[in-house]
Amino acid sequence: MKTLTMLTFFFVLTLPAISAEDKNVVYADVNGLVCDFCAQALEKVFSKKEEINSINVDLDTKVITIKFNDGKSLDDTTLTSLIADSGYDVRAIRHE
Amino acid sequence: MNCLKWCLFCASLMFISSINARPVSYPEGWTLMMMMDDQRYSIHMHYSPTAWTSVGYRLERWRAFDTNLHSAQINHLVKRWNKFDSQANFYVKGGLGISDGPHDANAELGGFFGLATDWEDRRYFVSYNNRYTQLNDDIGFFQQSARVGWAPYEGDFGDLHTWLMLQIDHMPENEDQIVATPLVRFFKGVFMTEFGVSSKGDLLFNYIYRF
Repeated sequence: MKTLTMLTFFFVLTLPAISAEDKNVVYADVNGLVCDFCAQALEKVFSKKEEINSINVDLDTKVITIKFNDGKSLDDTTLTSLIADSGYDVRAIRHE
Repeated sequence: MNCLKWCLFCASLMFISSINARPVSYPEGWTLMMMMDDQRYSIHMHYSPTAWTSVGYRLERWRAFDTNLHSAQINHLVKRWNKFDSQANFYVKGGLGISDGPHDANAELGGFFGLATDWEDRRYFVSYNNRYTQLNDDIGFFQQSARVGWAPYEGDFGDLHTWLMLQIDHMPENEDQIVATPLVRFFKGVFMTEFGVSSKGDLLFNYIYRF
């Protein structure tokens, strides 16, 4: 019982941190990601935005993971526009 | 000349890394391309204000004609097809400038225009490009080339990417109208280098740096 109480207490304490982290990350499913150059193009374009902390491009899954700086964000239209301006097509933006 | 070839070869080994030889970069990106094959040496520096267009300066030295062509070049990505696992592109390229011939001949107007298309996924690559060049009042010619490529492994972002390719060049006015060049491409980060040896025994060397 004591162990269960401690685990519950730990979970409640860490819940806000987990939620806050989730709000800082957006996933974009993108078509056309076939090479390093594609990934570099997206990195260069996104790195110029002050709202962006970092991005990660997965060439296997064709997913861009976009991490925002604390308290910052970009709306889906802006994200789609940035990716399109880099030369690629967005299939979906996910906030999961 | 052999010394120059070996210097370029050694430089390629020193700077092994790379990029696709695309004529347009990402928005506000610069690209430096140095290329050498059995016909010419060239240096091309371009700036891409958008992902669709690049403008720059190109110097070509045509060995057989002992002529240099200095031109302002514009490249435009007319259409890109982005699919889940592949990408295809269609470009138009053109340049206009002046050429200087042998023995300090007078500078004359010169230029070129061409089309290029490519398709690739992470394992296979196919491209075709053509070009008509008017070096000066007397010399004009058409050329075309095609490439097929295969990557022996799929590298992740940031890895060293390796491609094995075969390039076929067709220049109707040449004695050897068709030249085949097997080559290897290394691509890592912002650098790309390619080298091969043609069926005529000439060295092919390409080097691209994006910044």
